[in-house]
Amino acid sequence: MADARLIFVSGKGGTGKSAVAAATAIDLARHGKRVLAIDMLGQTGLAAHLRGTKLGYEPTEVRPGLSALTINRSGALDEYLKTQLHIPQGAPTRQISAALAVLADTAPGVREIISIGKPVSEARSGRWDVVVVDSPSLGQFQSYLRAPKIIADLVPTGNVRRLASGLERRLRDEHTTSIRLVATPAELPTLETQEAIEAIQKEHLGPEPMVIFNRVLSPSGMRRTDLEHLGVGPLREAATLQLDLETEQDRWADELDHSATLPYLFGVFTPGEVAEQLADRIDLPS
Amino acid sequence: MTSTVIVTGAGGVGKTTLSAALGAVICREDRSTLVLTIDPAKRLADALGLEQLGDTPVRIEGTDGMWAAMLDASASWEAIIHRYADPEVGKRLLANRYFQALADRFPAAQSYAAGERMAEYIETKRFDVIVVDTPPSGGGIDFFQAPAMANDLMSGKLLKWLTGSNLPGRGLIYRFTAKPMLRIADAALGGPMLSEVTDFLIDLRTMHDTISVRSRTIEGYLTKATTIVATTADPTPIHETRRFFSELGGSNIAPSAILFNRKLPEAWIDVANSPIRGIDDAVLRAAAKANLRSWASEARRQSDAADELSARYHVPVYPVPWTTPAPQTIDSLQVLVATSGIIDALEL
Repeated sequence: MADARLIFVSGKGGTGKSAVAAATAIDLARHGKRVLAIDMLGQTGLAAHLRGTKLGYEPTEVRPGLSALTINRSGALDEYLKTQLHIPQGAPTRQISAALAVLADTAPGVREIISIGKPVSEARSGRWDVVVVDSPSLGQFQSYLRAPKIIADLVPTGNVRRLASGLERRLRDEHTTSIRLVATPAELPTLETQEAIEAIQKEHLGPEPMVIFNRVLSPSGMRRTDLEHLGVGPLREAATLQLDLETEQDRWADELDHSATLPYLFGVFTPGEVAEQLADRIDLPS
Repeated sequence: MTSTVIVTGAGGVGKTTLSAALGAVICREDRSTLVLTIDPAKRLADALGLEQLGDTPVRIEGTDGMWAAMLDASASWEAIIHRYADPEVGKRLLANRYFQALADRFPAAQSYAAGERMAEYIETKRFDVIVVDTPPSGGGIDFFQAPAMANDLMSGKLLKWLTGSNLPGRGLIYRFTAKPMLRIADAALGGPMLSEVTDFLIDLRTMHDTISVRSRTIEGYLTKATTIVATTADPTPIHETRRFFSELGGSNIAPSAILFNRKLPEAWIDVANSPIRGIDDAVLRAAAKANLRSWASEARRQSDAADELSARYHVPVYPVPWTTPAPQTIDSLQVLVATSGIIDALEL
């Protein structure tokens, strides 16, 4: 059975990456794919955007064709130990489990490879066509991508090392893995996304990331010279804000090559509505 | 006595800018004010007239006694080791690769370092007011929980799991309890990670007594500080703000106010559907009206969100207007929070 496609969605905090991850998953499911959405941090962001369904470590179907799960520490440790590490018969499992838990808390890379191992093993399970991962924000996401290499430096041999090497190959395979970074066209998100892309490319951490600009305003059709005809008051104030934001977003959109834009959603409040509406507009090469 | 203002909240809501703005308004000739910031954007550094901000406080030109310093998390951890560890142990810790990874590995590490730095400035009494911009980790909650977490980390709980013993001295752990088990586990995991981690944890544990006292001191300062939660109307910051109040609800940390950043004027809501007179150009009239309607629906959503936060958590919400691009001068920084009313209300 062919591996499922793995799509990691990351981005600077506050740019709407959970919304975009949820929208990507919803869109793919609408197109008849068997989709698994994974919340990698064990937080509530993805769940809220999938209409508040409570997620567990086992996949739950949240709508036809779309299942979701959240990675929690104990579930991931347990699974890693049982199904991946292949502890020799007669070994003191309870103590090794305790040792692994301590390592996950102290040794660099260990927690990361255990967490990132879950999307990869789900992608290999044959149950899904696509696995969409709501990943940690930029800095932490890079630590996850770096983890296999860190492990390789730390342990010369053994099962942990072997598993890490397998992960590294899978994460770098551009035919089966893609990275999408969500940014908004403003100073910090643009610059931090640029830095992340440079690091990912320079250190060969994964396939070339694709940038999605979120919360992009459509041009209002007004120009600066129109402002003086709008009198004083809200009409002019709102037009001024719109034009200032248009200037700002054009400036930053020019700084960063992007493959797609998603609109600013006026007056939409609940995360579930945001994800549905973005899914209507998302149109990405898959 | 130094008074402390802590600005917390989710990433991306403008905490650093708001902290600088508060500092710029609070400072006076006879009230020196330090803004302890995390990682200012280039434009903010420019607005403060700074080429580069470092660990040492710099006086900000064009203000009446505002100072700024940046938190360098790794340097602060080193300072903590130098200050609280025995010199020999300190040397070993700093050379240990697990220590090097600690700032990454322990998500609240930067938060703990920020709290420690805050405490040092409070104790030197060099400034009258300190405005602390908190690290984004955990939506700002980590900053308040970091002292307890650091205490846990150094308490030897991890060691206990690892060795299963009652933590005898260093030599005993090696001889009687840990070794055989570590050998088996190392073989399974592909060691020698475990023995290295054990070494590291044993060294770290020697700092426990001092860190435990220190954590309580920092917690004391945190409860006495004025805490302000910054948010915007975006779903993630609103969610983090709710989480902040629900998770810290039972503690002694009581936020005094919410600063609602990028807030649109409520006046836009009512006029959005009024007829427009005096614009001859029909195309412009339609465009301007459609634009106001869009922004008015956004203003409505923001207003509902602000009302809900205020009603649910019984805290005043102060609006900070949406200005773009971000403030680029000290004056515009001051204007940003001066109009919100928070300065008078909190007697800052």
